[in-house]
Amino acid sequence: MLLALLDSVLDAAPALVFAAIGATLSERAGVVNVGVEGMMRAGAFGAAAASILMPTPLGVLVGVAAGALVAALHAWLCIHGRSDQVVSGMAINLVMLALGQFLLEAAFSSPAGTPPIEQLPKWLGHSPLTWLAIVLPFVVHFAVTRTPWGLRLRAVGEKPQAVAAMGVRVTRLRFGAVVLSGALAGLGGAQLSTAVLDRFENHMPAGLGFMAVAAMVFGRWTPLGAAGAALFFAFGNALRISLSSSAPGLLEVIPQGVLLALPYALTLVVLALQKPGASRAPAALGQAYDPELR
Amino acid sequence: MLESLRAALPSIGSILTSLLGCFVAVAVLRGGVDVAIDAFLAMCWGAFGDFPKFFDGGASAVLLRPLGESATKAALLTLTGLSVAVAFRVGLFNIGAQGQLIVGALAAAVVGAAVELPSPLHVTLCLLASATAGALYALGPALLKRYRGVHEVISTIMLNWVALMLVENWLVTGPLRAVTTGDNSIAGTAQIHESAELPRLAGEVSRLNAGILLAIAAAIVLWLWLSRFVGGFEWRAIGATPAAAQASGMNVGRSFISAMLVSGALAGLGGAVLILGTEQRYPATIGAPYGFDGIAMALIGNGHPLGVLASSLLFGGLRAGGTRMQLFGVHKSFPELIQGLALLLVAARLVWMKLSNRLLPPKGGA
Repeated sequence: MLLALLDSVLDAAPALVFAAIGATLSERAGVVNVGVEGMMRAGAFGAAAASILMPTPLGVLVGVAAGALVAALHAWLCIHGRSDQVVSGMAINLVMLALGQFLLEAAFSSPAGTPPIEQLPKWLGHSPLTWLAIVLPFVVHFAVTRTPWGLRLRAVGEKPQAVAAMGVRVTRLRFGAVVLSGALAGLGGAQLSTAVLDRFENHMPAGLGFMAVAAMVFGRWTPLGAAGAALFFAFGNALRISLSSSAPGLLEVIPQGVLLALPYALTLVVLALQKPGASRAPAALGQAYDPELR
Repeated sequence: MLESLRAALPSIGSILTSLLGCFVAVAVLRGGVDVAIDAFLAMCWGAFGDFPKFFDGGASAVLLRPLGESATKAALLTLTGLSVAVAFRVGLFNIGAQGQLIVGALAAAVVGAAVELPSPLHVTLCLLASATAGALYALGPALLKRYRGVHEVISTIMLNWVALMLVENWLVTGPLRAVTTGDNSIAGTAQIHESAELPRLAGEVSRLNAGILLAIAAAIVLWLWLSRFVGGFEWRAIGATPAAAQASGMNVGRSFISAMLVSGALAGLGGAVLILGTEQRYPATIGAPYGFDGIAMALIGNGHPLGVLASSLLFGGLRAGGTRMQLFGVHKSFPELIQGLALLLVAARLVWMKLSNRLLPPKGGA
């Protein structure tokens, strides 16, 4: 049973891990990203639709590009248009929700989903994206904490004016971080439609994008923390699913709905317990960069 | 006059641009401008009444039925839109309208089914229960913000999912599930009593109900409060510059809490209108992201209660009319695409401000 549990975590967790790391990168650069849900949806749809025409691995790249493209729109609105970042992110979610339905109807004449595609090949029983999801948190952790780019990224989220004084282009750095964030969210979405399932379904990603935001907060805006929280949430979910078949009696004591609400409730509890002012959120999070300010 | 036109320009421009963009999309995807014109006309008649058919001697139902559908949708959009807008005015972003609407809807369904009272009292009691439930659900984020510095965007997103999971995956399928007879096992709460239903305004012909009156009244009251009362002025002052408001002796923390309570109550009322007006019970799932639509309405309406009302009437209409576009091979969610694009365009406020300064130069020639 434990092995079966591990198996299902390895299948279910990567999407959440990618998206949570993506959200973390954007927010560390000071740009709020609540549009992860929409970017994942773009990635899931892009990957599935492209895989009808081309080999699935290339389709996944299209999904990544779709996520990045949507993120570029978010970045342009937030950085150059100086829009409210939460507004822009929510707008992206709403547009992607409707656009997905519209394109499904327009291109595949079906409101439910795309036709089935060939899944990604399996390496050692799991898709390559699973193994990537295990390595990536460490790579991003290294990049953020040990490279000049990472230092600048963190600085631009704390005090962009200081970075500008160093001679680094704040807008370009932030734009890159947001696009990268969208690419990762897109990869997460692509994992849903090419590895977990073999098609895009209209309900995707069914709130995983928001759970990724929860994982980022839970992981205190660090790549390893976010990935760990994502893994924890995915494990909890897999445990719930396996319990519902193996020990249905337990779920009569603790209802499924309570377990489903737990990740979000836990995140709230963690936030509520911290001391005021002790938030680990980047200091310049949510503020448009104004070069005139000091 | 010029000033209010300038304020409304981004919204009007965004709506027109997204309508145009979607028109082009339909024309390209569905084979021609003619088809697109027909589809958009069908949407209009479905939204605001089938006037061609009426003037051809059709019954008044061809006007009342579409208008009823539009008004039902507009009422919900207005209430959630006002909910988001009122929080906005004190500088809070209430993403939690969805969760507050869910608990409000559940409260209406429970009180509507469990209590027996004469009609006007019963409806009032349901509305009060919903408003209270919504307000209490919004109180958490307000307190977390005040005493723990937790950003309301994060806490309300979390509470949306907590409400959704607890209500739709537990309460509605478990403890509050309707008692079923025979094989008809359906998720959802029991049917509310007839005395709890919102009164119909046009008889059996149309689903037009008193919800839209409630929504319009809420918009007007909120507009008066924000523009004519000291408390409303304080909210606006705090939203504009919290530090200055605090320095001039206003109680910022208390205003955060009271505005969030009002915001939650409005979203809760939206849930009540949904249950008492159309659903008549809490179904297995309420399905649509009504609370997120409220964000769109608040922003397209520029945070002004009457602006929210206007944009809700427009988009409520388009949504009701959208079902008629299916005849032309366009999914009925098309109006939501128009709405989403309009919101995205409104978000690019800086672009619109540059444009409006060019079109309507501010006084003093700056």
